[in-house]
Amino acid sequence: MSERSLRIGLVGCGQIADAHLQQIRRAVGADAVAVCDSEPLLARQAAERFDVPMQFSSLNAMLREARPDVVHVTTPVHTHAPLSIKLLNAGVHVYVEKPFTVDADEARQVIDVAEQNGRLVCIGHDQLLDPEWVRVCEIVASGMLGEIHHVDSVLGYPINGPFGRHVVASPNHWVRKLPGGLIQNTVSHPLYRITEFLDDAEPSIQARWFSRLPEVPFPTELRANLQGEKVSGSLLFTSTTKPYQRVTRLYGTEAGLEVDLNTQVIRFHQSGRYPGAFAKLEAPYRQLRESCGNLKRSVGRFVRGELHYFEGMKRLFESFYESVREASFREVSSVRPPVTHQEAVRVTSIMDRIFKQCRDESGDFAFGAGQKAAEEKFSPARITGEDRSRETPAELVGQGHL
Amino acid sequence: MKVLLTGATGFLGKRVLRELLSRDIEVRCAVRESSRLDCIDDIRTELGCQIEVVSVDLATEDGCHEAVSGCEVVYHLAASLDGCTSSLFQNSVVPTRELVRVASESGVRRFILVSSLGVYGPQKLPRNAIVDESCPVDEAPHLRDAYTYSKAVQEDVAWQTARENDLSLVVVRPGVIFGDERGILSHRVGLPFGGRMLRMGGRQRIPLTYVENCASGVVLAGLAAGVDGQVFNLIDDALPNGREMIRRYRRSGRQLRVIGIPQFAIPLLSWLNEKYSDWTEGQIPKVLSRHRTDAMWKPLRYSNEKAKRLLGWQPSIDIDTAITRTLSFSG
Repeated sequence: MSERSLRIGLVGCGQIADAHLQQIRRAVGADAVAVCDSEPLLARQAAERFDVPMQFSSLNAMLREARPDVVHVTTPVHTHAPLSIKLLNAGVHVYVEKPFTVDADEARQVIDVAEQNGRLVCIGHDQLLDPEWVRVCEIVASGMLGEIHHVDSVLGYPINGPFGRHVVASPNHWVRKLPGGLIQNTVSHPLYRITEFLDDAEPSIQARWFSRLPEVPFPTELRANLQGEKVSGSLLFTSTTKPYQRVTRLYGTEAGLEVDLNTQVIRFHQSGRYPGAFAKLEAPYRQLRESCGNLKRSVGRFVRGELHYFEGMKRLFESFYESVREASFREVSSVRPPVTHQEAVRVTSIMDRIFKQCRDESGDFAFGAGQKAAEEKFSPARITGEDRSRETPAELVGQGHL
Repeated sequence: MKVLLTGATGFLGKRVLRELLSRDIEVRCAVRESSRLDCIDDIRTELGCQIEVVSVDLATEDGCHEAVSGCEVVYHLAASLDGCTSSLFQNSVVPTRELVRVASESGVRRFILVSSLGVYGPQKLPRNAIVDESCPVDEAPHLRDAYTYSKAVQEDVAWQTARENDLSLVVVRPGVIFGDERGILSHRVGLPFGGRMLRMGGRQRIPLTYVENCASGVVLAGLAAGVDGQVFNLIDDALPNGREMIRRYRRSGRQLRVIGIPQFAIPLLSWLNEKYSDWTEGQIPKVLSRHRTDAMWKPLRYSNEKAKRLLGWQPSIDIDTAITRTLSFSG
């Protein structure tokens, strides 16, 4: 396995599958060999647009004929665990799009099955390998900010975008059946930007959700505070403010910084050297120099073709594939995937606690009520086409998530 | 005669509904659960007609059966206009396949699919060639934009399913439909970029059809005798070019900042866009790939002779009046 390109399969040809197939194509040492969706037309469009040689509407057929080393799971969230377990039992390594699973119980099951089979699982926490985020981690590791005491993490969600509009217009959309609804589908991104620095297993949590949009009958806003032993965090998920941000602010004992992943810009917050009125001149001068530096850096990256929205995803794929190669000649338990199995469970568990607290405090929103029914209705066999009937809901067939 | 109409709440659909009702045809409208029905209610009140409305999911067999049952003719207009490719396939192509199949089982006499002029593949045609119904469809529609790709596959799937199930299919391919709620400037004229319009070429004719004219053509496709299995272009007469449209737009008092891209520069820009996109692994997408630009902005002539001859269609509102009406409506 170490000598040849890894064979990559993908199940679930919805919106996010486009990003995966695009980044697999860019990743070194891997080839997308097959796509699978219970709806053949969706598999067809993915295969045609991304030059994938094989397309299937049955997962078993894909495993048998395409013999992938790794399969990316980009189906709706409630299918992640059953599909991942099936794939791991079939002996392939699995990359699961975020959010990992419906809840932490499912997450633990997936990890247990992976470890029993000596296979690796990677959760799609791709912003952790975004070039600017990696730079932030290097800055923190250098000690320049001192000790990190607090992290603010913001995610702006375009509820009026194509996916958000579709969820709003579809009362039976799978996203609305998740325990955390629309928020669960994307909140892991701002959350893992906090948990990267807040390493407590069970931080205390204060959270509430609500909607500011009268026409939207489910929560579109989340405010959560996390308190760990050494670090605290605050998470803002908002659908009503613009621009739609992916911003994190770190507060250290020596200095702070703000990283904007959309614009790929880092700004520092430092104490001034000069007193009184001079400080009022120093601050904008420092910001001017910083802006010039950021512009120069962005121009350079543009010219070199390095400004990709999903660059972090590509790097996470490459890092995971490297772990898979290592696992072919080393004991799997000694291989550390880019996002560890423990971290996948920990983040999922914190999400569970946030949603539970929100549900307990606002009984208005009936999230999760349809979950059991959804699980029964959407068995893995049906998702992957082996028992496909005409009644298969369109929402199952790989309708991707942002 | 009872007909099923999908997409009745849409831009074209509500005109088709009005046209059908004006011919005393009984209409059932299949709508999504989430559709706003204000426009159907308005037409019902205005014309004092009965309009049956069913809320169904056309991606399911049950939904299609409920919609089609008892109808002799199906007018299938429902389609998504935006979103990612998979979403367009899910909302347009999959329901079309299901509806054609169920229609064939339900004794439907004719199925009318509203496709798009965009499905043609004129890349190999010489400049100023005539695009009529004999022009081949695009052999590589996945290289076009998501909407055009979904319309090309939708039509392909409809033909295939109709053939397999022995259903009479008629396809209409309207040009760029314009009218009150939808302005006169489309991507065929130019592309928006940073608050400006990049005018692409400017002297090539824009294949327009006014929504009222288009609606009458669509209705005739379901009524005319002996046209089963036929395809019809629906394009108005005396088409203006892009420069003329921009001039009309500005003359109506609207502001538009334009950067003109001359026709000869389009292939060069396309080549550069493709090379840069490949070199940077997609940092900038292939918006101007040669495959797309040849289909969109090459100077061509468009024929509507077949629709006039076999359907007896006439674009009754001339293009000049249609543009004036459109510009006087939208603010």
